[in-house]
Amino acid sequence: MQQPSKVTFLDGHVETVWCVAWNPTGNLLASCSSDKTVRIWGKEGDGWVCKSVLEGAHKRTIRCVSWSPCGRFLASASFDGTVTIWDKEKGEFEATATLEGHENEVKSVAWASSGSLLATCSRDKSVWIWEVDEDKEDYECASVLSTHTQDVKCVVWHPNREEVASASYDNTIRMFCEETDDWTCCNTLESHDSTVWSIAFDKTGSRLASCSDDKTVKIWQEYLPGNQQGVAVSGKREWKCVCNLTGFHKRPIYNISWCAVTGLIATACGDDTICIFKESLGSDVHQPSFELLHSLPSAHLQDINGVNWNPKIPGLLASCSDDGSIGLWQVHNL
Amino acid sequence: MASRFSGALQLTDLDDFITPSQECIKPVKVEKKSGLGAKIKIENDGSYMEVDEGGYEVKLQKAQISLTDCLACSGCVTSAESVLISEQSQEELYKVLSQNAAIEDASARKMIVVSLSHQSITSLAAKFSLSANEAAVRLSTFFKQIGSDRVYDISIARDISLIESCREFVKRHSNQATKGSLPMLASACPGWVCYAEKTHGSYILPHIASTKSPQQIMGSLVKDFVSSSFGLSADRIYHITVMPCFDKKLEASRTDFYDEICSTKDVDCVISTGEVEQMLLKENVALNDLDSTSLDSIFGNSDEGVLASHQGGGSGGYLEHVMRYAAKELHGIEVDELKYKVMRNQDFQEVMVEKDSKVVLKFAIAYGFRNIQNIVQKIKRGKLPYQYVEIMACPSGCLNGGGQIRPEDNETPKDLLSRLNEIYRNMPTRMPFHQNEVEDLYDNWLGGVDSEKANRLLHTKYHEVEKINTALNIKW
Repeated sequence: MQQPSKVTFLDGHVETVWCVAWNPTGNLLASCSSDKTVRIWGKEGDGWVCKSVLEGAHKRTIRCVSWSPCGRFLASASFDGTVTIWDKEKGEFEATATLEGHENEVKSVAWASSGSLLATCSRDKSVWIWEVDEDKEDYECASVLSTHTQDVKCVVWHPNREEVASASYDNTIRMFCEETDDWTCCNTLESHDSTVWSIAFDKTGSRLASCSDDKTVKIWQEYLPGNQQGVAVSGKREWKCVCNLTGFHKRPIYNISWCAVTGLIATACGDDTICIFKESLGSDVHQPSFELLHSLPSAHLQDINGVNWNPKIPGLLASCSDDGSIGLWQVHNL
Repeated sequence: MASRFSGALQLTDLDDFITPSQECIKPVKVEKKSGLGAKIKIENDGSYMEVDEGGYEVKLQKAQISLTDCLACSGCVTSAESVLISEQSQEELYKVLSQNAAIEDASARKMIVVSLSHQSITSLAAKFSLSANEAAVRLSTFFKQIGSDRVYDISIARDISLIESCREFVKRHSNQATKGSLPMLASACPGWVCYAEKTHGSYILPHIASTKSPQQIMGSLVKDFVSSSFGLSADRIYHITVMPCFDKKLEASRTDFYDEICSTKDVDCVISTGEVEQMLLKENVALNDLDSTSLDSIFGNSDEGVLASHQGGGSGGYLEHVMRYAAKELHGIEVDELKYKVMRNQDFQEVMVEKDSKVVLKFAIAYGFRNIQNIVQKIKRGKLPYQYVEIMACPSGCLNGGGQIRPEDNETPKDLLSRLNEIYRNMPTRMPFHQNEVEDLYDNWLGGVDSEKANRLLHTKYHEVEKINTALNIKW
């Protein structure tokens, strides 16, 4: 089978690159770094170039970037405890709002599919929900969720429900949804033996993939009340770990991306390797099997911190590393 | 063990990877004895022994952190819990009571005074299916049985706290040019005050009312007015308050409420409602089986009246009173009924007063951390549309305080809260400005409204806590 080809390497950041994120149309890639900048990359002619550098908004490392579903806004989360909202309405990105309140390092930010909510999480152990008022460019805190007992590493929204999932140093994943007057923790997913670094829903939202410091990837399946498999459900739904992928990585797995176009799962690991998994043909969703499609050892010179599938171009994957570089890879024979 | 402080306090930092003892970054003063260096040896039980040249071993003392140290530090608040448990607890209270009773010469004993908050009375009333007044007079019996000399409710301290808040608002309103005058933010909630001091110092603190909370005004009444009427020095009274909230323990421990001359605190020990429940269990007493004993009055006689409370909800009615007073004083409007409009959620409500169809006063209540956040950030940006905000750290306010009795059996927290609200509402209403006793206190104890003594005893200051950067520099 043909190995994924290296499309290009993007150099520009002068320190660790933490996160890469494609915009919804897949033509722009945002990256963020310990050098306190966000860079926006795009294709010009046959090559990829840095189109803008967003700087001056954060005093410390920028850990995570997230695009609004409309593609107009970009949120950046920083270890300085703030989140900055960048607006490219007028062509150039402009910092138009700051979300303050977290006590210390913000680790992750995510925009809900409706565009009207944001979630953030921090070393202060809390997950915050923010309501977006686009006209007034106003962001108000709708909830502060202190359910995790440790540092919260990652937040992601369900692809079509107003429900947020978070992953933590307390080894758990938690789901939050809105009840009558406030948000509340509706599910706790326990199975990992160490920090859960990252989580990703598949495109339907009935499955979730998680990766951990315990060097494993786990696949979780959603079960509704009265399901035919006889899984006990106490609330609206239950999440059950149905697959455990071990032995593929030698070091903590920092990031995971589940492609909505191809169904492939990519992982970023501290062993400098990217792995790409594919669900086996005829796999049963209640007991699925995944196979390693590709392994890219030494994809970067150092720890790989992030991977992200392009939402439009099948098989195009971006990765980023402690070595300060960003890689673009094309998976063939999809 | 989950922390019992309000959510706002639990969020105030510090590191999550290490345990409280190591986490503490407060430098500890160690009494250094002069002399040559000595060897230190560690015993099997982990204690440290200093070995001098002669081979003698002396056990070294552990470094001790007091609650006051914790409050002055920008580090953790949550790990102060273990300190609190030793300094302010029912165990400490029992210790003081038994030591006091053991003093043979009755005239050398301390006078033990208990002050009951309305919210705690309400919570205990709900637990034993009593009215607020029935619960109060039974609590009076209970505390006298275990050795208290006087049991008060804190209505009169709350009257004064409300009056001072009203006057302070009007004063700030007519002094708007001074930065930080308006909006005015309520000061009765110590969780909120502590959070503001530790995280939002310079730009929020000027907005917080200088008026003391009812607990601390009760402290002044007991340690100044009551003590002098009994001819006792302040340290001869041991003052216990019963409160719906653990954060009140932090408030009582503030240095601002410590009298250095007499080495005494205005409130010596704060007991949460839940701790009273445990004391009743320990004594094997059901509150509803006890007889009634009238509450005492700080004027010496017993208070035969029925326990009354204030308009405007279970958090003390600050917005309600300030708004009525301000409408009248500033705009000549007698407000009949305030209409609370629910905003983003039940814990964020808005009230307006109009004159000639123009809004002249716009106030809000904001309970719980999420709503506090939005208020704080809007003040920071100069965009807050309110002149006054009644802020409380706990969602649903003080009746839902962290120290209240938890729901039992199958009762949901929501159902319990609605029972508490009903019991609270069923108390007769008390108007702070129409109390002869309060007027009497202003005239005779304080030397008039706005006197030097009134300002000294009824108001306090807030202190910005500078952030210390911890040595840990997290790199991921």
